[in-house]
Amino acid sequence: MIKLVALVPLFPIIGFLLLGLFGKKWSKSLASIVGSGAIFASFVVAVGIFIELLGADAAHKTATFSLFEWIDAGKFSVAISFLIDPLSSLFILIITGIGFLIHLYSAGYMHDDEGHNKFFSYLNLFIFFMLLLVLGSNYVMMFVGWEGVGLCSYLLIGFWFKNTNYNNAAKKAFVMNRIGDLGFLLGIVLIFITFGSVDYATVFEQATHFTSGETVITTITILLFIGAMGKSAQLPLFTWLPDAMAGPTPVSALIHAATMVTAGIYMIARSNILFTLAPVTLEIVAITGLATALFAATIGLAQNDIKKVLAYSTVSQLGLMFLALGVGAYTSGVFHVMTHAFFKALLFLGAGSVIHAMSGEQDIRFMGGLKKHLPITFLTFLIGTMAIAGVPPFAGFFSKDEILAHVFEHNKIMWLLGILTSMMTAFYMFRLFFLVFSGQFRGTKEQAHHLHESPKSMTIPLIVLAVLSVLGGFLGLPETFHAKHLLEGFLEPVFEASEVRMLPNHLTHLTEWALMGVAVITMIIVVLVARSKYVKNNEVPVPESTTLKPAHKLVYNKYFVDEFYNAIFVKPINWLSQKFHSIFELQFIDGIVNGMGSLVVWTGRNLRYAQTGNVGFYIFAMVLSVVLILLVNYLR
Amino acid sequence: MKSLILLSGLGVLTLLSEIFNFKRKIFPVVLLGLLGTIVLSAMYWNTNKHYFNDMMFFDNYAVAFTCLISFIAFAWFLLSQNYFNEETNLTDHFALILFALVGAVIMVSYQNMSMLFLGIETLSLSLYVLAGSRKNDLHSNEAALKYFLMGAFATGFLLFGIALIYGVTGSFNLQTIANYITLNSGNIPALFYTGVLLMMVGMAFKISAAPFHFWAPDVYQGSPLVITAFMATIVKTAAFAAFFRLFFTCFSTIESVWGNIIFVMAILTLAVGNITATYQESVKRMLAYSSIAHAGYMLLAILAMNKFSAGSILFYTAAYSVASITAFTVLSIIINKSNNEAIDAFNGLGKRNPFLAFAMTVAMLSLAGIPPMAGFFGKYYLFNAALQSGQTTIVLVAVLASLVGVYYYFKAIIAMYFKSGSDSSPVEVSFIHKLLLVLTLVLIFAMGLMSDFVIRLL
Repeated sequence: MIKLVALVPLFPIIGFLLLGLFGKKWSKSLASIVGSGAIFASFVVAVGIFIELLGADAAHKTATFSLFEWIDAGKFSVAISFLIDPLSSLFILIITGIGFLIHLYSAGYMHDDEGHNKFFSYLNLFIFFMLLLVLGSNYVMMFVGWEGVGLCSYLLIGFWFKNTNYNNAAKKAFVMNRIGDLGFLLGIVLIFITFGSVDYATVFEQATHFTSGETVITTITILLFIGAMGKSAQLPLFTWLPDAMAGPTPVSALIHAATMVTAGIYMIARSNILFTLAPVTLEIVAITGLATALFAATIGLAQNDIKKVLAYSTVSQLGLMFLALGVGAYTSGVFHVMTHAFFKALLFLGAGSVIHAMSGEQDIRFMGGLKKHLPITFLTFLIGTMAIAGVPPFAGFFSKDEILAHVFEHNKIMWLLGILTSMMTAFYMFRLFFLVFSGQFRGTKEQAHHLHESPKSMTIPLIVLAVLSVLGGFLGLPETFHAKHLLEGFLEPVFEASEVRMLPNHLTHLTEWALMGVAVITMIIVVLVARSKYVKNNEVPVPESTTLKPAHKLVYNKYFVDEFYNAIFVKPINWLSQKFHSIFELQFIDGIVNGMGSLVVWTGRNLRYAQTGNVGFYIFAMVLSVVLILLVNYLR
Repeated sequence: MKSLILLSGLGVLTLLSEIFNFKRKIFPVVLLGLLGTIVLSAMYWNTNKHYFNDMMFFDNYAVAFTCLISFIAFAWFLLSQNYFNEETNLTDHFALILFALVGAVIMVSYQNMSMLFLGIETLSLSLYVLAGSRKNDLHSNEAALKYFLMGAFATGFLLFGIALIYGVTGSFNLQTIANYITLNSGNIPALFYTGVLLMMVGMAFKISAAPFHFWAPDVYQGSPLVITAFMATIVKTAAFAAFFRLFFTCFSTIESVWGNIIFVMAILTLAVGNITATYQESVKRMLAYSSIAHAGYMLLAILAMNKFSAGSILFYTAAYSVASITAFTVLSIIINKSNNEAIDAFNGLGKRNPFLAFAMTVAMLSLAGIPPMAGFFGKYYLFNAALQSGQTTIVLVAVLASLVGVYYYFKAIIAMYFKSGSDSSPVEVSFIHKLLLVLTLVLIFAMGLMSDFVIRLL
């Protein structure tokens, strides 16, 4: 099965081509079957690869398959080649698996949309690029996938392009990503200059000869991290992700929660040896991650749009993953990527189901009491909420606990802030949950009349993801449980080189139990507070028109970051480009370009008179030329 | 060699068909015959046979160009199917075209200057008549006469050059002359160099390089459209192949004599062809100037004069001919419909017949040298060959010239898609023309994608 790795990205691109070229004429059911079928086929191959890797011995856990040489210019050569190892096989499993579920869900969710078939073609294209990103065996292929998913993200955020706000959100996402991409691109260039290759195998092998903390490695890793900041929505480049919720909900689930935004984590995990050799960068990664986690969590406390809450929680959770990477706990970071993919996809799809039932309403102030109308959504959403809040033994508990344990070893204050973040997470998630599902319905009568559970194609993915959110955590049981950490064992070959460079530092079992206890107890307290506030006292967030207290206003308006960026960057740049346009472009550049054009046309108009039509003149010109040629030859 | 015999046989057969009255069936026979020519000549691949006491030499260069010429002729017959239906003296035209092809094949496979002369004259004499084949059309008559007068002059120079070279070396054989140069380097009489330059003038006339290009726009415009297509593709390919063969085998060692002159000629041709084309209103005349411009690009291969030249010239002529055939096919359909060859006739074609507009667009893009069309790789390989020989200046000029080219090629595209004409009725395309266009479009893309395959032939 490993040898068939090329098939994994092949199916989605075929699906995209078929849907893109002929989709217009197809019925919606055919389009959804082709679109989902392509991803399912990839998923089957991915499962096969994964099983084969599980059985393989250490020496056969990594394999590279080159298809052809893509760019070959001097010393620079890039092959289209795929790298299969535990890390990439895990990621393709997540991408195709969750991708398939979300395709299935979209068949129901997008059923009444006129762009249904186009939507599936974009989704397939996205999966193709995402697979390219994680399967490539060099940085250039990763970059191709990286840009490709950025493009698809742009197309899908602006999917309902008739709405100007959605278009602006799409543009914002694209532009912000470009800032990060520039860092990534410079990082790749510097990698090539330093190591003479962009191939992972060569780069990582050569990197081991460098000593820890060398400037060039630190520079490379900081540049790469800037790329990761953009794609994975970290401070200061995070504001695009909440706006990206303008896209259809399945897109938010697939791209802006489960897969694309974790590309930054994949990139750092893939380059772990480089980051391990740059302790300074690791510290920056950890601090950025923690700050983002905390910052986004506080914003999440006051949001009233169901998808915005989830969006800020995604930013916050991504921050947590970077925190894990920053303290050198690569496995824990990847572990959290996986569990987060399960429960966040679940939560988004559940939110989609709610929005579907509410006829497009997204404001939680107008929901409430949906428990009895949407039983399956309610139950699965509850599981998702418990998983993200860290209720044992759901998936999020284990991965978050593992990260916090590693952070505790690294720095006690960071750990404290981490606990604070997870308390806030538990609070805003249960706030959301209670406001949506318990109490009385607060919407219009018409909405109440329409309330209904979603069709099977939407609930089945919810159930599958709920099961995964329950069981996913058992892949990485803490050491205290005297069980094997399955994921760590599986991923070991990837992080081997880094691990020998890290200080082995293990917590005693007692400390681990204590940490776990603190996390669980604080979480329970917070949930109880939320319950008493929103269930017992039936509190509802204040309507839009009320004046808020300063602190509340600050958080509700997302710390005015957007306004700040607008004033500091957007407006001055707009002003500058207008000046450039009116002075430099119109008068100088256009003058030269148009001048050249007119010169050519003018010459053409006059040169044409040489073509007199008079044979005598033609022959005269010919003879004159011959004479000249001979003359020049003799004078030479 | 067998292909040459087959072509001549076909020519005779068409003449006989007039007498024995089966001329209506001759069209498919000719098409089959041309396919047969391709197969027969391809069988000579890697055989390197000499014929008639070294008069002809069928090396791979000759074989490849014979195949190319036969194939373009095949496509050309598909293009001009209507033309043959209209004309009265059907068989005469067939025979003349076939004999012109015989001349073309000789021009790419000669090993002896007398054969070169024979080939050029066989080709040219047929064309003088064909250019004037619209007997009642004054323009056609004028074209024929002009072509003949100036062609006679050029032939005179060519023949004079051959005579001078014979006078010095005592031989017509290319190899013997090449050996003479290497043996006597340093004390070759000026007479010989004069001969070389005069031959160069004769050949430059045939490929319509400036300043010997004056005949081309007038003749191209005056001749019937299909004859223009024939001249712009097959004649240009054969003439250039002959030019290159002569200089590559014989005169490559005395580049100091002709290098600078060809350099100036190439710049002049690029400039005149491209710049004058910008101001043309008639598409036919625009294509005439574009064909002059392309001769300028091809001269780069002669300037390069290295092992990459032959392959790149084969690729370039193939790409250029296929794209030109496409363009001429669309143009002939348009002229048939609206009796107007100005650029306005193309207005709104994107709506009137999207397929035709697409074909024309691809042809224009390929001629302009936009990837991934064949024309781009043609230019790429030519420029590469020239750069390998250190000819940076001329490549720069050629790149600038091709920028100008984009301007007039895009005029047609803009007319088709962004302008609407007075006539908005749909345009019908016959089955054969559709078939031809599909074939050429596939070729334009395929050659672009698999350029390596063609370029490695030579």
